[in-house]
Amino acid sequence: MIQPQTHLNVADNSGARELMCIRVIGASNRRYAHIGDVIVAVIKEAVPNTPLERSEVIRAVIVRTRKELKRDNGMIIRSDDNAAVVIDQEGNPKGTQIFGAIARELRQLNLLK
Amino acid sequence: MRLEKCWFCSSTVYPGHGIQFVRNDAKIFHFCRSKCHKNFKMKRNPRKVKWTKAYRRLHGKDMTQDSTFEFERKRNRPERYDRNLAENTLKAIKKIDKIRSDRASDHIKNRLKTGKVQRQKEARKQLELGIHLVKAPLALAQDSSLCLPKIKDNVSQAQTEENQPMEE
Repeated sequence: MIQPQTHLNVADNSGARELMCIRVIGASNRRYAHIGDVIVAVIKEAVPNTPLERSEVIRAVIVRTRKELKRDNGMIIRSDDNAAVVIDQEGNPKGTQIFGAIARELRQLNLLK
Repeated sequence: MRLEKCWFCSSTVYPGHGIQFVRNDAKIFHFCRSKCHKNFKMKRNPRKVKWTKAYRRLHGKDMTQDSTFEFERKRNRPERYDRNLAENTLKAIKKIDKIRSDRASDHIKNRLKTGKVQRQKEARKQLELGIHLVKAPLALAQDSSLCLPKIKDNVSQAQTEENQPMEE
């Protein structure tokens, strides 16, 4: 349940460290974003000397949430933090590696694993 | 589909039950119900929480080593479906389950045996000391058959003697 003002960790090596969600992509008044949704975020903290800089507006896809993910087979999965992977307009990840565990629902997106 | 063990209480988690928590180091914790999940969030150590299997095994309350445990190991290689194999496995599961639960209950019974003997000894002592509460002293003196029979010190099997009913 990611909404605007939510801080998220970055789970790849794109150069950003922490993002703050600005907008949930989808309907015009969509409230929350879950695992697999795209958000617009601003970079709050970045690793120095990388192409991404602080206060840059980028898109990201959410890979881990503290809110449980419910599967059709009844499995409920919870994570320890909220994390996202930086993405470009087409949907390709900006980084090359992804850190941490990721839900299987993200297999449809072409995230390099 | 796989039946997992609850990380906290060690009971089986069936599909559709419980929550799986994935820590950031990718370790997965399965919980059978919110009770175990909440205890985990409180950072309680299952080895110190009395109702968990971990505590019971650690403190010798439950059976720890038995050959029946060898059958229930985690196998990661899927077996090709064979009807006979499946049928035999199901029969074996039932049999092994019964054997294991019998052995576990025997373990508990043996553990409780010494306590039972102790309690009977204490009860006998109490009866000897407090016989005046039960019988009139005159009646005891007159009728020696009302006295307690001689106690044979048999540690393994405690004798149960009946206290003669008193007609009032």
